[in-house]
Amino acid sequence: MATSSFFHPSLPFLMMAAILPFLPGNRRWKWLLLLPPLAAIYAAFNNQPGDHLTLSWLGRTLQLGRVTALSTVFAQVFAIMSLAGLIYSLHVNDKAQHVAALLYVAGGFGCLCAGDYLTLFVFWELMSLGSTFLIMLNRTRESVLAAFRYFLYHIIGGLFLLAGILLRYHEVTQSFEFGAIPITGATLADWLILLGFSVNAAVVPLHAWLPDAYPRGTVTGSVFMCAYTTKTAVFVLAVAFSGWNILAIAGTVMAVYGVVFASMENNARRILSYHIVSQVGYMVAGIGVGTAMTINGASAHAYAHILYKGLLFMGAGAVLYAAGTQKLDELGGLAARLPWVMVFYMVAALSISGAPLFNGFISKTMTIAGAAEAGRTYVALGLELAAVGTFISVGLKLPYFAFWGGKPTDLRRELRPIPANMYAGMALLAILCFVQGVCPSILYRYLPDQAAVALYHPWTAWNVIQASALLGFSGLAFYFLRKVIAPHKALNLDFDLFYRLIGRAVLFFVSRPLAFFDGLWTNVWDRVGLRILKSFGVLTSIFDRKAIDGVVDGSAHGVRLLGRLGALVQNGRLQQYLGLAVILALAIFVVVWYR
Amino acid sequence: MPVSDPNLGFLAKFLAAQLTPSRLKLWRRLFFGVLAGIAVLNVVVHNHHPHFGWDAKPLFWPAFGLIIGLALVLVVKKIIQPLIKKSEDYYGDL
Repeated sequence: MATSSFFHPSLPFLMMAAILPFLPGNRRWKWLLLLPPLAAIYAAFNNQPGDHLTLSWLGRTLQLGRVTALSTVFAQVFAIMSLAGLIYSLHVNDKAQHVAALLYVAGGFGCLCAGDYLTLFVFWELMSLGSTFLIMLNRTRESVLAAFRYFLYHIIGGLFLLAGILLRYHEVTQSFEFGAIPITGATLADWLILLGFSVNAAVVPLHAWLPDAYPRGTVTGSVFMCAYTTKTAVFVLAVAFSGWNILAIAGTVMAVYGVVFASMENNARRILSYHIVSQVGYMVAGIGVGTAMTINGASAHAYAHILYKGLLFMGAGAVLYAAGTQKLDELGGLAARLPWVMVFYMVAALSISGAPLFNGFISKTMTIAGAAEAGRTYVALGLELAAVGTFISVGLKLPYFAFWGGKPTDLRRELRPIPANMYAGMALLAILCFVQGVCPSILYRYLPDQAAVALYHPWTAWNVIQASALLGFSGLAFYFLRKVIAPHKALNLDFDLFYRLIGRAVLFFVSRPLAFFDGLWTNVWDRVGLRILKSFGVLTSIFDRKAIDGVVDGSAHGVRLLGRLGALVQNGRLQQYLGLAVILALAIFVVVWYR
Repeated sequence: MPVSDPNLGFLAKFLAAQLTPSRLKLWRRLFFGVLAGIAVLNVVVHNHHPHFGWDAKPLFWPAFGLIIGLALVLVVKKIIQPLIKKSEDYYGDL
């Protein structure tokens, strides 16, 4: 909904998601998909800071349109990424995938604009639903199973968040206002909210859903997912938990942990997934340190990260699309056969590694320098260590084994031609990664604290030499150990082992002790309760025949019809339940919005 | 949807031509040359704002990159992965 200085960026995505299923079957509807991102870009660059779209619902005040300096940075990159992502997925004919992506992106924007916890929670859950479908719609058994796990996990994370929100309302503030929470005097409610946010930020050890699900999403769906879920979580953490030291520690652990797992992985998109954990670690650490410079650094890094990580997933997705596999031990010798995919991938790989000329260089260094200046040596050192591992695994290992691998040009493999729109999406992000790296002011002018921006200059001779030395000599380490790091088929146990054990324990509890008591109760009911009920039924049927029949004959018919409809809906298919839930939620949302 | 053929471009020809032994040798020399250049620059140009103290010393960052890189790969592949490695279908998801 628009006011004089505010246009909600979720709205065009929600509208498109609502009308897309009804558009006629020829392929011209695809071009309409580009309208919501363009509208969102307009909104992100023109919305004025302030509180917009305040409405009251059930006696509570909802704030759907809060714009701050911090949310503006995130909204801009969310909007640009949505354009690149939809260009990349224009060739997809499956409308369901587009609807899922549109709802997912709408959820992301809704979280950025939320001024209260209830609004935040609604959009937060919309994101979970949209992304579940982006995995499920890959339509393989592996993906559907992963989608179920993903959904279960995010529902539990969402429940922690909801519990925190309600507890906070009930016992602390009597309001749903979403703002900074000081660490002194933090209550259980605040910790529950932090836990809920941390699930989506993939904070170790709550992160294992990410490398489980993202490699199993559709080629185009994972491009969206890698951008929004974790970065929305980074945004809400920056709003509420800035300066919480535990996040500085958690972020450093994430940065190193992600790199360690990425170094042993064989699956290209799982390597990239572990690097989301690692890179989001830089942002979480920046938020935890909480100085103006590290918050700027976290915001700048989120911005740069969305662009290069989207591009990395696009590149790996293009290889998967063309070659039919994303396993490095099965790839190799593709450089001359997919040359532009390789070039675009390398732009992103150099960006994530923080190489001069690319945007990671101007964002990563800011967080590290900020942490060091704030006296957090271990944070800065941990992040530098992660930078070495990042270059080795994403900058060298993945492209080396996918495109070269010491193998000759692979002429035998039949490659599926890559549609031009996929190249266009990659080109757009590659240009942005390069331009931002060369002209940091394009990004820096939008950072939340402009006074701190003026104090930091990335393009100094020393910074360039330091980055080149770090990357060049970690490259030498790779050169020496390229045979040791060669990937092999394997599953590396991660914390999802524990999630699965907990899941099995719950299943056991439900299927054995609970089912036993349920069976016992059914027996008792069968023998005693039903008999009483039956004799009562005989009495009432007599009464019914003698007295009621003439009066309400039609109602029985109506009830039966409704029962049939209900039975049709209750078919046990989770994806249809979820779809129905989204439609219902959207309908309620529309009613509330336009009331 | 129009499709571009990657086999015909100049970039593809260039990349395919780099895989001969002589070209690979050239690239290797170029790589070592660049590393040597970086190392020299690291001695000549000083860091006026060291973050940790010892990072002001010449050749700290080249050593950091090399040693951490070697250690990371060896620890991960030789110690950690053998401990947690299972068959690809360990969970029965595939």
